[in-house]
Amino acid sequence: MSVKIELFGIPRARAGVAEATFNGDCLGEVLVELAVRYPELAATCIDGQNLRPGYAVNLRGERFVTDPETSLCNGDTLLLLGLDAGG
Amino acid sequence: MKTSCHGYHGRYMRMDCSTGESRAVALPERTLRDFLGGSGLGVKLLLDEGSAEVDPLGPEAALTFVFSPLVGSPLTTSAKFAVVSKSPLTERINDSLASSAFALAGKKTGHDAIVLVGRAPEPSILIIDNRRARLQPAGPLWGLTNSEAQSRLRNQLGPDFQIATIGQAGEQLVRYATISHDGRHAGRGGSGAVLGSKNIKAIAVHGTRRCEWASPADLATLAKQLSEKSFGPATAKYRELGTASNLLVFNRLNVLPTRNFQQGSFPNAEALSPEQLSKTHSRTRASCAACTIGCEHIYSLGNQQDGMTSGVRLEYENLFALGPLCGIDDSSAVLAASRLCDDLGLDTISAGGTIAFAMECVERGYFDRVGLDAPWLRFGDAPALLRAINEIATGTDLGQRLARGSRHLAHEIGHDTIKFAPQVKGLEIPGYDPRGLQTMALGFAVGARGADHNRSGAYEVDFSETVDRRNVGPEAAVLAVETEDKAALMDSLILCKFLRGVFDDFFVEAAQMLQLVTGWHVSADELRETAQRIVTAKKHFNILAGWTPAEDTLPARMLSQPLPEDTRAQLSAARLRELVTAYNRARGWSPDGRPLSD
Repeated sequence: MSVKIELFGIPRARAGVAEATFNGDCLGEVLVELAVRYPELAATCIDGQNLRPGYAVNLRGERFVTDPETSLCNGDTLLLLGLDAGG
Repeated sequence: MKTSCHGYHGRYMRMDCSTGESRAVALPERTLRDFLGGSGLGVKLLLDEGSAEVDPLGPEAALTFVFSPLVGSPLTTSAKFAVVSKSPLTERINDSLASSAFALAGKKTGHDAIVLVGRAPEPSILIIDNRRARLQPAGPLWGLTNSEAQSRLRNQLGPDFQIATIGQAGEQLVRYATISHDGRHAGRGGSGAVLGSKNIKAIAVHGTRRCEWASPADLATLAKQLSEKSFGPATAKYRELGTASNLLVFNRLNVLPTRNFQQGSFPNAEALSPEQLSKTHSRTRASCAACTIGCEHIYSLGNQQDGMTSGVRLEYENLFALGPLCGIDDSSAVLAASRLCDDLGLDTISAGGTIAFAMECVERGYFDRVGLDAPWLRFGDAPALLRAINEIATGTDLGQRLARGSRHLAHEIGHDTIKFAPQVKGLEIPGYDPRGLQTMALGFAVGARGADHNRSGAYEVDFSETVDRRNVGPEAAVLAVETEDKAALMDSLILCKFLRGVFDDFFVEAAQMLQLVTGWHVSADELRETAQRIVTAKKHFNILAGWTPAEDTLPARMLSQPLPEDTRAQLSAARLRELVTAYNRARGWSPDGRPLSD
């Protein structure tokens, strides 16, 4: 499955790009691919097939997901963001 | 009068500004343990003063500056104080927090709180040096901006004094005027107008009385551990980008309030993102006293080529309120508007919300119908935004109408404009569209001080897989209660909410901190009860002030129209009522929100 990831905040700053495309059948696979391509991003945001505390993934702008086994469809969009709010 | 517990002085100063006389009032240990400090102790003092039923701008109204047991301790982010009063904007309880050296110096005067009543016979400065207080004429300081007044007073009194001021907005009794200290603001609800109504331009504090800690060595160890955790990834976002980085996330999720909540996304949001702002405006970082996070991002006002050195602290809330909410995509204008609000002493959320509401009224022809002449006040017009802010603080005819907030303006205009006035209980809504963040919608509706993102952290629930943020059910009520209780405890201890991500179990760790500071054998369960007591005390205050269940709602527009970009983001009045009822039950209150017992 080809999946687009849009990056926001710290994930974008660490990766140096606003979006990227990956192949993967589930969330965990995509996060592993993401970590390989952007090690600096991984050091802050990703722990294996999971996100580190303070970061979240939203699927298609519709729902937040954490389970690495979450199935993805071809053309899906994932949003990777920091959970900062307030101010 | 010395209290037997550590971390407190066991007294507060009660200053009658009418006479210039002050006296010390004892604070029993039971009161301190039940209400801690900050917001909690503030509402208790106001209830004791009988402030709920009085005119918030009358001389009989009390204005409290409240410190906390942790102030002055080595615990990071603990240099904070609360300003608590009846709000002249909402006529309900208002607790605003600010940070830094004023909290440290204020507590070192030997008091756990400073309570002001009365009205000085002329514009004055209140100077508190340890346990002595005196008023002196404000003279030429009256009429100055916050930064000018603080600078001149510091030159006059010397660097040992820490100073909090009002700007021209507070002098003009703008209902959402702030109290400012060293670039930080007790921002929401109009505490600056309350201080202005007492004819007090500034409070200067200096003290030498330190509190002792019950277990200083263990406290130092704990503080070191907390500081180390505060350097970690949970706070990286605050250090590196600041809260302004919310803008693009919220825009992408269609929950960025735009053009007075008519839309949930802003086409030019990218131009206002911190990433873009950093390319055109130089940026520096700063932090409050006794803070290891350093979240403040100060942007230069001009572009880098101009070589301007004057800057402004930018947060998500002033960015959204003075940018997308007013349809403004000119980053320099948003920064200038934000700085203007800081200097004049205006809450940026209420200023932006009220101006955006007025812009929509102008666009729809409502101003003409009631004889208001401001055809220039248009969405997207940056000079109009700056002009409106100046008129609010200088008290022109239009400015005086805007100075009372969107709810009052809507009532003045009529024609059902109240349906799209962006407020709850009179407090303008922060930068979270409640239709797409419905646990937050509940938090806004039931909030004691009105629509507020600091007294309810319910957006955290919406940003999780626990709920469907666009179709939240009654089960979210318990989660909303939890975030509100956590906020009540943080605001009373006081600790910065930007620390919340570093705790595994905040109540457990807070109990440990409080025990090392005070010597009390306090448990997490006791602190949960304390938080609930504080939330309930705020509700009691509001009931005495005239609260009715009908207030716990949202503007009609948000309960009848979905977000245009996301039609699934829709919340009906009936469903919000269900959520509010579930919240009241989760609190153990009657279904319509009345506490059943103390």
